[in-house]
Order: sequence, then structure tokens, then C-alpha cells
Amino acid sequence: MTSLSIQTILYENSPQDILRSVCALAHAAQLAKDARSVNDWEIAVGDSSPEPVFAEGLLAQLREIVEAAGGSFRYQFFGANLGHGGGHNVVASQGKSDVLVFVNPDGVVAPDALARLMAALGPGVGAVDARQLPIEHPKEFNSRTGETAWASGACLATAREVFDSVGGFDDDTFFMYCDDVDYSWRVKLAGFAVLHQPSARLFHDKRLSSGATYLPGDAEVYYSAEAALLLAHKYSRQDVVDRIISAFQASASPVEVKVLAEFERRRAEHRLPAQIDPGHDVGQFTSGNYAPHRY
Amino acid sequence: MTSLLIDLLDSVAQSPHADPALLTAADDLRAALTPDVTHGPFLTVIVRTQGRRIETLKDALLCLAAQSCQDFDVIVADHDSDEVGAVAVRAAVDEQAVDFRSRISIAEVSGGGRAHPLNVALSRATGQYIAIYDDDDLLFGHWVETFRSAAETAGNRLIRAQVGLQNVQPEAWPDAEAGFLTLSSIRAEYPEEYDQLRHIRVNSSPFMGWAFPRVLFEKLGFRFDEELEVCEDWDVILRGASLLGVTNATELTSIYRRWENGRSSYDVHDLEEWQRSESRVIEKLDAMPLVLDRGAATQIRQVLVFEDAANAHAHLLAGWTWRLATPIRIGVGVVKRARPFVGRVLRRFHLR
Repeated sequence: MTSLSIQTILYENSPQDILRSVCALAHAAQLAKDARSVNDWEIAVGDSSPEPVFAEGLLAQLREIVEAAGGSFRYQFFGANLGHGGGHNVVASQGKSDVLVFVNPDGVVAPDALARLMAALGPGVGAVDARQLPIEHPKEFNSRTGETAWASGACLATAREVFDSVGGFDDDTFFMYCDDVDYSWRVKLAGFAVLHQPSARLFHDKRLSSGATYLPGDAEVYYSAEAALLLAHKYSRQDVVDRIISAFQASASPVEVKVLAEFERRRAEHRLPAQIDPGHDVGQFTSGNYAPHRY
Repeated sequence: MTSLLIDLLDSVAQSPHADPALLTAADDLRAALTPDVTHGPFLTVIVRTQGRRIETLKDALLCLAAQSCQDFDVIVADHDSDEVGAVAVRAAVDEQAVDFRSRISIAEVSGGGRAHPLNVALSRATGQYIAIYDDDDLLFGHWVETFRSAAETAGNRLIRAQVGLQNVQPEAWPDAEAGFLTLSSIRAEYPEEYDQLRHIRVNSSPFMGWAFPRVLFEKLGFRFDEELEVCEDWDVILRGASLLGVTNATELTSIYRRWENGRSSYDVHDLEEWQRSESRVIEKLDAMPLVLDRGAATQIRQVLVFEDAANAHAHLLAGWTWRLATPIRIGVGVVKRARPFVGRVLRRFHLR
């Protein structure tokens, strides 16, 4: 039997969203336990917000919901914004469960999502991600084996042993975005498979304009651009780094100019990550993506 | 905003020369079209399934469980499922969290066509509005919230939200034979707003983009036409919109999944069935007076002017004078095409 820690990192999320997410997680964990996929489980919440997101009343309510479902609850206010991977690293370091599941706080898992993730997390499998709704990620996966280029941190299960052996998320390099891609690729370099489990579902509450376009926020634009450069550098793809730098230099976008300046500052201060995967065994840079896409 | 019928009567009654009794009639009609809302949620969602696509049904239920506004209940209309399918539908419902599960009922329906399970579920619906959502479609998190917000000023009109479109195909998954694969990104191919006249030509508003006011069924006696093999949604949309009107909520709140490889309603039902159903829908519309919304006169005029121009052009092309003038037009065309060349020659030899 396996113990499970379900982790989520907050940054000024609405209490209503958190309540919705935690209720769904507690229910899914209870069903996974009923199905004997797990025994002990906890929901561990890290808070990177400037002020604690929870009032005392809500914190007590969440604890009550989780305990009523048979789990335990822990909450930690960081007092600083540790980013996505940094927050998960801290929360993971304080637990002892066999398996870690990282879930975005604006997500709602399906009742059988955790059981389905656990079923896929067999021997030799380092990480498994869930399918996201209603906007599905277009990365390719092998529909028979589930093998895929990387697993999304929006809902990702991994064995603690694997997590610890590769050093968790690289929060020195990645603040937001691509820390999951990097984690997946290091898991692969360590010899484990990375799978997509389409029958495990996460409702990720993203919305589109009436013209069906996704409008990212400022932080998403900045940190995903920064992460693209850092990831290409880390995975020894100087050609991709050069291409991105040229594109950013030609761009009039103040965000890209700022990203470029930050990258050069890191380079000057020798703070760029050490380069790995020199043979390009796991890193995939395809048309600006980190996996071949179906569409 | 008020429903189209009341709007029509109001606009007549408010004329200074109209019989004041018409105002009373408008009030009476308004009262008759006021729903009896003493209990029940804002929305009843009818999820239509046949128990053959459990993985998409689970997607559909998760989309509902994750709605930002939970003021709704759900009737899963399980139509003609076989024994295995019915068990799977019940299991998918039973695994939902207690609060959500308590708001879901299952109506197991046998026989009839696509409209039959809808009518059975309608008879049990208690929401102020009713929405219909097939088991293979998807919702964004603000689907109910958008309908509810629009309903505050809709005055019993039908509410229409924007729907995206995405292609999928059946595909086995590592742990489920009846999985599927998404093949395309989400596209906004349907018009942002309802166009009453254009919808008579073709339905471009998928079912789950609509919330139908309860009065349509409770007071005006609408039912889904069980004689129709397909187009049961189009029929109610056209007739309902003509009586009550439409409020547009332009948010994109749902995704219609179009199946490739022989799984869509376009494949399951043959061309004859579609043509038969389309004819019946239009015949029913012809059999009733049609109320058009404000602005329709200008639109009809534009269409007719365009049609007149097209007819005149066709008439010209078919006429003997057009045919007789063919050599002249060819000559003019040759001269036009030759003019730049001749100009270049003249300039080269300084002849002008």
C-alpha cells in the first residue's frame, strides 16, 4: 500500500476556488483509498501569497473537510513567493509519503483521477500527468502506452524516491513554467518513463475569448519566455538559444527585451544552469514547443 | 428586455391611438408568461447519453462539477443504453462527490428517437431555465454563470452563448478501450450572435449554447418533436426564438466536439433523414405566423435587394443582347490587355 501527499501552491487564489479544488481532491483521495490504490493520504498546501490566503475560519473548514474524508491537512505560509517548483520542493521536503501529486489550485480533479494516476505509476514510471479539460494540451502521447515527451505540473504524480533522486524541481532556474518540462526530462535521463494518462482528468479553469483565443496574463508571458531560453540553455541547445535571442532582439515587445536583459545578466553573473543532455537524448524543441503537438 | 410576444403587444398597445384595453391584454399576457418559480434551481441541465461513451460522459460530468455557479441540477437522460452501458452510466454518476451527486438524477428512457429522452427529462425539470448538453461535449467553468448573468435581463428570452468547435476521433487509451483523441484546437466558427433569418437557412447554434426559459415548455407548451429523426434542437430554437426572442451572451462557454471516423450524428443519420427532418422543421415554421425581432425589416430589405441584383445579373447573362455583344467584349478585353504593351512599344520608339 502507498501513502500519498497531494500538494498545491497558492498565490492569491480566491478562497472559493481553493475550496472547490480541495473538496474535489479530498473526494478523489477517499475513492482512491476505497479502491485500495492508497492508504494514508494528506493534502499539503503551500502559500506563496504576500498575505495568508486563508482566514482562520476557512482553514478550519478545509481541515474538517479533509479529515472527514479520511485524510490529514497541512498548511504552510511561506512569507515569500517561492514560485511553483520552489513551493513544491519545500512542501515535499516536509512530508514522508511514498507518492507526490502536484495539482494547480485552479484545478478540479475528477473523482477517479487519483486512482487512475496511481494505476499508471507502476515500476519504471517516473512521472504521470492527467488530461486537462476543457482546453486539452496538444502534446502527442502514445495512446497504447501513454508515453509522452513531458508531464504537466498542473496535475502530476511522481514517486518520492524518483523526486528525491533527481533533486526535485530546479527552482534555482525556473520560477514558473517549464519546471515541469525540466523535471520530466531529468526523470527520463534517470531512466524512467514519463506517461500521460488520459483517463485521469483535471478540469483546469482556463477560458477563451469569443474568438477562441487564449489571452495569457503578463506573468505568464514573461515567465514562459524566460523559461524557454533557460530550458534551451540547460539542455545544451545553443542553436535554439541563438534563435530565441534573435527573435527577441528583433521584437519590439518590452517583455521580450526584459527577458533578454535578465538572461544576459544571469550569464554575466554565472547564474545560468549547468548544461546537461549534451547528446540531446531527452530534450525536444519542436516548433517552439517541448514535444511534437497533435495540432 | 422582454420576450418577443410581449414586446410586440406592448409596441402596439403603446400607440396613442390604440385601444387602452390592449395595454390590459399585454399585462395579462405578461402574467400568463410569468413562470411559477416557487422552488427549483436556476438551471436544469439535461445530459443526454446512450451509455456508449463513458469516458466523454465523465468529461461532461467533471465540467459540471467544476462550474463556478452551482445553482443547477442535472438529469442524466440515459436513452436506450444496453445493460453494460446503463451500469456504467450509474457508476459514473454515483462516484461524484456527495453535494453534486445529490443534484443528479438519472432518467432511464427506452424507445423513441433523439427527442424522446429530452421530453421525458423535461417533464421532471424544475429549473427556471433548461439547458441540454450531450455526453460528448465540454463546458468552460463559467457556462452556468454566464447564463445566469444573462437571465437577469433576458426577460424570458432564450439565452444563447458562443460555442467553440473541436475535432475528435475514437482512440483506445492505455486503460480504456473506448477512449478518444482530440485532433484540433478550439475554433470559433459559429456566429457570435443569433441571426434569426440566417438560422432559418441553417442551424449554426449547437444545443449546449442555449438556455431555454422554462415558460417555453411550461406556458407555451413546447416539446421536442418526436417525429424528427434529427434537427430536434433547430425546431425548438426557431419556433421558440420567434415567440420569445433571443438574448445573446457573447462569452464562449462550451465546446462542440465533432467526431471524425463515423461517430457524428452526420454519419449515424443518412442524408435522407436529414432532408426529411429539415423539411419538417421548415413546414412547421411555415404553418405558424413568424414574429421577427427588431431590426429584421432592414435585414430582409438588404437580402431582397441583393436577390434582385442577382436576378437581374442572371437575366442579363441569359439574354440575347449579352450573347450578341460577346465579340465586342472580347475586343475590348484584348485592347485593355494590349494597352500597356502598346504603351511600352510606343515609349521605346519615342513615337509619342
